[in-house]
Amino acid sequence: MALNDPNWGRRGEGPPDLDEIWNRFRQRVAGLFGGRGGGRRPGDAGGKGFPGGAWLLVVLVVIIWLASGFYIVDASQRGVVLRFGKYHQTTEPGPQWHLPYPIESVEVVNLSQVRTLEVGYRTNVKNKVLKESLMLTDDENIVDLQFALQFVLKDPKDYLFTNRNPDETVMQVAESAMREIVGKSKMDFVLYEGRESIRAQAQKLMQEILDRYQTGIAISQVTMQQAQPPEQVQAAFDDAVKATQDRERQINEGQAYANDVVPKARGTASRLMQESEGYKQRIIATAEGEASRFRQIAAEYSRAPAVTRERMYLDTMQQVLSSTSKVIVDQKSGNSLLYLPLDKLLQLSAAGAVAPPDNGERSVAPEMQSQAPPTVDSRPRDAFRSRDREPRP
Amino acid sequence: MNRSVSTVLIALVVILVVASLALFTVDQRQNAIVFRLGEPVQVITKPGLFLKVPLLDNVRFFDVRILTMDPDEPERYITSEKKNLLVDSFVKWRIVDVVQYYISVGGDETRARIRLAQTVNDNLRAEFGKRTIHDVVSGERETIMDLMREKVDTDARKIGVQVLDVRLKRVDLPLEVSEAVYRRMEAERKRVANELRSLGFAESEKIRADADRQREVIVAEAYRDAQRIKGQGDARAAATYAQAFQQSPEFYSFYRSLEAYRQSLKTKSDVLVLDPSSDFFKFLKSPTGKR
Repeated sequence: MALNDPNWGRRGEGPPDLDEIWNRFRQRVAGLFGGRGGGRRPGDAGGKGFPGGAWLLVVLVVIIWLASGFYIVDASQRGVVLRFGKYHQTTEPGPQWHLPYPIESVEVVNLSQVRTLEVGYRTNVKNKVLKESLMLTDDENIVDLQFALQFVLKDPKDYLFTNRNPDETVMQVAESAMREIVGKSKMDFVLYEGRESIRAQAQKLMQEILDRYQTGIAISQVTMQQAQPPEQVQAAFDDAVKATQDRERQINEGQAYANDVVPKARGTASRLMQESEGYKQRIIATAEGEASRFRQIAAEYSRAPAVTRERMYLDTMQQVLSSTSKVIVDQKSGNSLLYLPLDKLLQLSAAGAVAPPDNGERSVAPEMQSQAPPTVDSRPRDAFRSRDREPRP
Repeated sequence: MNRSVSTVLIALVVILVVASLALFTVDQRQNAIVFRLGEPVQVITKPGLFLKVPLLDNVRFFDVRILTMDPDEPERYITSEKKNLLVDSFVKWRIVDVVQYYISVGGDETRARIRLAQTVNDNLRAEFGKRTIHDVVSGERETIMDLMREKVDTDARKIGVQVLDVRLKRVDLPLEVSEAVYRRMEAERKRVANELRSLGFAESEKIRADADRQREVIVAEAYRDAQRIKGQGDARAAATYAQAFQQSPEFYSFYRSLEAYRQSLKTKSDVLVLDPSSDFFKFLKSPTGKR
């Protein structure tokens, strides 16, 4: 209200009365709240203001008190309401209200959030925690195992009220269960073929134990991060793996050798067969050819044996003598010792030169080239010639 | 009316004060004992709102959730074959009888834990002493845990505690023994590796030898068949020749000899020493062929 307000002067019957101001305020506020505050006590409002103001205060306090019971449950959460410390109900996501303190209280738990736990390592598989990861197996070997598990809450009531440290319990149970399962298995099984089975068994056992403790926790997944022999023996294990590959390699090499040799042998075999078949065909054909030729000549021969024989003989002799070196020695003309330089003759014939003999009187007539008399009938000779060129079996 | 309002307000405050003194809540997680001048008069095992006499009564609360006893350091136990084992275990327990618990350990959790730890240790020592490492690690792990639960539970009931579970966590060999195990594992792997390599060599040799054998057999069989076929050819040829030559053996002998001469004497390096008196030269000395 400004000083130049015309209403100012009208109120100035006396100094401003604090009680009056308070009363007016109270009335207005009471009017706001409907009949209860303002309607019931319009009469006494003109008297002392304080008790009426107290009512207002009480109402306000009550409102604030009641309002303190509001809470919001997120989509992933559940509210657990306790009435006088006793479990009352579990509330769904959305705005919720509970009777205010001290009657009811609420605890909001994150239900569907996936929690992760790492056993044997932290953050990275390389960052090992040996105390957790080294385990004894059934055959008294030691393996180095890292695994992680994820869990969610399945029962907020159990989670809150049954165990003091449910999250810690998960860690203890996980370690204990995994060690129990690994302790029952052989090393090779844990490291190689049985990883999946170990994982599944461990998960089952963990869940059983957690249920026995009523932790309200559900294990959604156990993942084997790594299963390997301890570092101290890693090299030997790697070598064994390499040996497996060496074995494979050697077998493959053997196979390769076999694949090379056997087909080649088959090739050789079929070559032999084909060759023999060829030989057979050839020899038979040759025989038939020669037989046929002989039969024909024989037929002619039987017609004129003497002449044919003489002709064939001379033909042959001519051919033989014309192509060989020869020395004609008349033994009847003298019986003195004849010197025949055979080695020289051989040398000469090899060189293709002709050396005339020094002794003509003794009728040593070296004849390197004889002039063949022209043959009247050239047919048989040609036949013989052509036969020379045929391959002999 | 002023007075009545004030009265109501004062009454309300008084009621609240009295209520706060006379009422108490027991949480879902708790049990409580009401003591009147030090004397337990009421045991509350259910959660909810309860009454007490103000000022005279005193309430003590106990956490009845499942608690864990998990020692930080592993204990050393000796097995029946006199070998050391480092064992880590944990115990799940909870208070079931608050009065008994209060009487025996004064409601002090630390004391209860010490008491439990002793029991667990003694029993584990006894059980491990009866068994070998192998039994402890794999064969009878569950048996031990079950036995332990029963024994420790029986004992724990005396202090109002129920033992839900005793579980072995780590059962490890001490460091110096671990080293020996590593050496053994290494030797074992070496053995496996050598065996694998030798096996590989053996199998490879087997395959190679088999291939060689196959090769020999294949070639030999082919040779055999080839010879048979050749023989067939030879036989046919011989038969053909014989059939033809039998017609005039005498002429064949002549004919064949001529051919043989031609074939064997046909180069210059063949030197013939001839007598001019032979039949071939009969015209060389006289045109009539007379000697």
